[in-house]
Amino acid sequence: MSRAWLWLGVAVSLLLPMTASSQSMTLCRAKPELLELGNPLLAARKSIAERRKLRIIALGSSSTSGYGVSNPVFAYPAQLKMGLDKALPGIDVDVINRGIGGQDVEEMSARLRGELQENPASLVVWQTGTNAAIRQMPLDKFTRWLRDGLALGKSLGADFVLMNLQYVPAVVAAPDKEAYEKIMAAAAKEYDAGLFRRFDIMHGWYQDGMPYAQFVQLDGLHLNDFGQKCIGKLLTKSILNSLNGP
Amino acid sequence: MTVQPVIASGRDVRLDLFRGLALWFIFVDHVPTNIVSWLTVRNYGFSDATEIFVFISGYTAVIAYARMMERDGWLRAAARIYRRVWQLYVAHILLFVAFSAQVVWVSIARDMPSLIEEMELMGLGQNPYQAILEAALLKFRPVNLDVLPLYIVLLAAFPFVLPAVIRWPFGVIAVSLLLYAATCRYDWNLPAYPENKVWYFNPLAWQVVFYGGAACASLGPQLAWLDRFRRPLAALAVLYLIFAAFIALSWHYNPLEQLVPAWVGRLIYPIDKTNIDILRVLHFLALAWLVRLLVPADSPFLRWHLFAPLRRCGEQSLLIFCIGTFLALSAQVIVSHFEESVLSQIVVSVAGVVVMCAAAYVATWFKGGGSAGQGTGRTPSVEAVP
Repeated sequence: MSRAWLWLGVAVSLLLPMTASSQSMTLCRAKPELLELGNPLLAARKSIAERRKLRIIALGSSSTSGYGVSNPVFAYPAQLKMGLDKALPGIDVDVINRGIGGQDVEEMSARLRGELQENPASLVVWQTGTNAAIRQMPLDKFTRWLRDGLALGKSLGADFVLMNLQYVPAVVAAPDKEAYEKIMAAAAKEYDAGLFRRFDIMHGWYQDGMPYAQFVQLDGLHLNDFGQKCIGKLLTKSILNSLNGP
Repeated sequence: MTVQPVIASGRDVRLDLFRGLALWFIFVDHVPTNIVSWLTVRNYGFSDATEIFVFISGYTAVIAYARMMERDGWLRAAARIYRRVWQLYVAHILLFVAFSAQVVWVSIARDMPSLIEEMELMGLGQNPYQAILEAALLKFRPVNLDVLPLYIVLLAAFPFVLPAVIRWPFGVIAVSLLLYAATCRYDWNLPAYPENKVWYFNPLAWQVVFYGGAACASLGPQLAWLDRFRRPLAALAVLYLIFAAFIALSWHYNPLEQLVPAWVGRLIYPIDKTNIDILRVLHFLALAWLVRLLVPADSPFLRWHLFAPLRRCGEQSLLIFCIGTFLALSAQVIVSHFEESVLSQIVVSVAGVVVMCAAAYVATWFKGGGSAGQGTGRTPSVEAVP
């Protein structure tokens, strides 16, 4: 009998901290230094000043396309558009979602020229690296495709912000994740692109005690509603920091 | 001939009961912030209510149409299956309209700017006319409207597999597994809207659950052959469920998560839902095996009055699914209106389930010509089954 009570106690104590994941954005935080892109986004500034217009292409894979979110509006590109609309009244802001699930640098570099010709943009947010890390794309190939893409994009006159890997179980389990991150940081520096450090930001959430279920879908890979909204919000803040900075 | 056991098996109460349960789970899990979803399978392992629903759908499809084919011939059975596909399609389109109307109503009538911002688009925004066309083609399916299109595609292909699954269930399982493997390997999927999107529930992969159910129904009592391994299989199933529960709970407790070795993470993630990861299939099979052992079809408790509402919901699965999906959106709006208070989550969950049950009873009453009694021994029309 006492044993039954013991088990009941264990079960209840396991169940006690159970809460439903909140959608409240009060949990959405990042250290201020993680919201510095390290780039003044001159082409974007110029477009805003001269044409009262800011067109952004969100180039990426499933996180960009908004896989599995309960409403396409929660995907970070839509959140970015809503955030910038609010912060830049009178400016015609357009965010074009060009996320295609399953792709990584190779396919994205290949379609970059077409995307920019179809929608001439002054800023490209390039979300990449996650699928490469999970599938163990050889590092030299990753480097080459990424640099080719950045070189091409820069030559077409757009600013770039690289968004690196997401901190989720599938990526954390990948052995070389830091290597991909380093390659992205180095390429950003060399090609004068901004870097949105999604990995470090999300790692911060985890270290603050936020469980994966709060920001990751149950597949262990994709951002859920909260994760997407929060990344959209923080990306908006970072881009505004850059536009308003020195 | 293996047709005999299928025909003889009659109506298995477990099918309605567990399908009803799956429908309740789907409703509860579709409310994004809902503490009640801790009562569903989702948080304790890899698979969720979708697997239960699809498996039972495959199982009941054989039960319902094998006998019809035997009696009236293939053509007649195929025609009846397509009549059912048409019903599903009509239900889906109606649900799409009702669902969109609810979104619009919430945005306009309640005048909640935050809601308008979050809910107005749903993908309809940029090009509503094309979105309507794509919805009619099942290529555009807003939030949570993914399950019925999957079911429609699976059932539309079913007449062509039905003769085979009755004669050679093992052959069908083999072909189904091959298609599943090829789909995962070569990344096949059906096209969706907007461009470059794919089906959230990939029918080419999820057919493996449907035909798993169909083959089990076709095998019927022959499944007892597996009973010689009942103990080792049960032990394996229990071990696997414990492992899955540990991993699933680790998503909620970081200290547990840190106990998961890196190599395990490397092995299991990502646990894909679109192409139903093999871990999900195995998790469902383990669950199903244990349920088969623990809940024999003739268990008296299955017929307890306490479970009657579940059985009713399972019998009226199409209607209840549609109502559940519709109500999940209402529940989401209400919960966010009350700032996600736990009380509001519990109240809307209970209220939703009550509405679903009431609808199931009304529908049963209609079907019975307005005189549905207790009806435990009643045999509903076979068509209504899948």
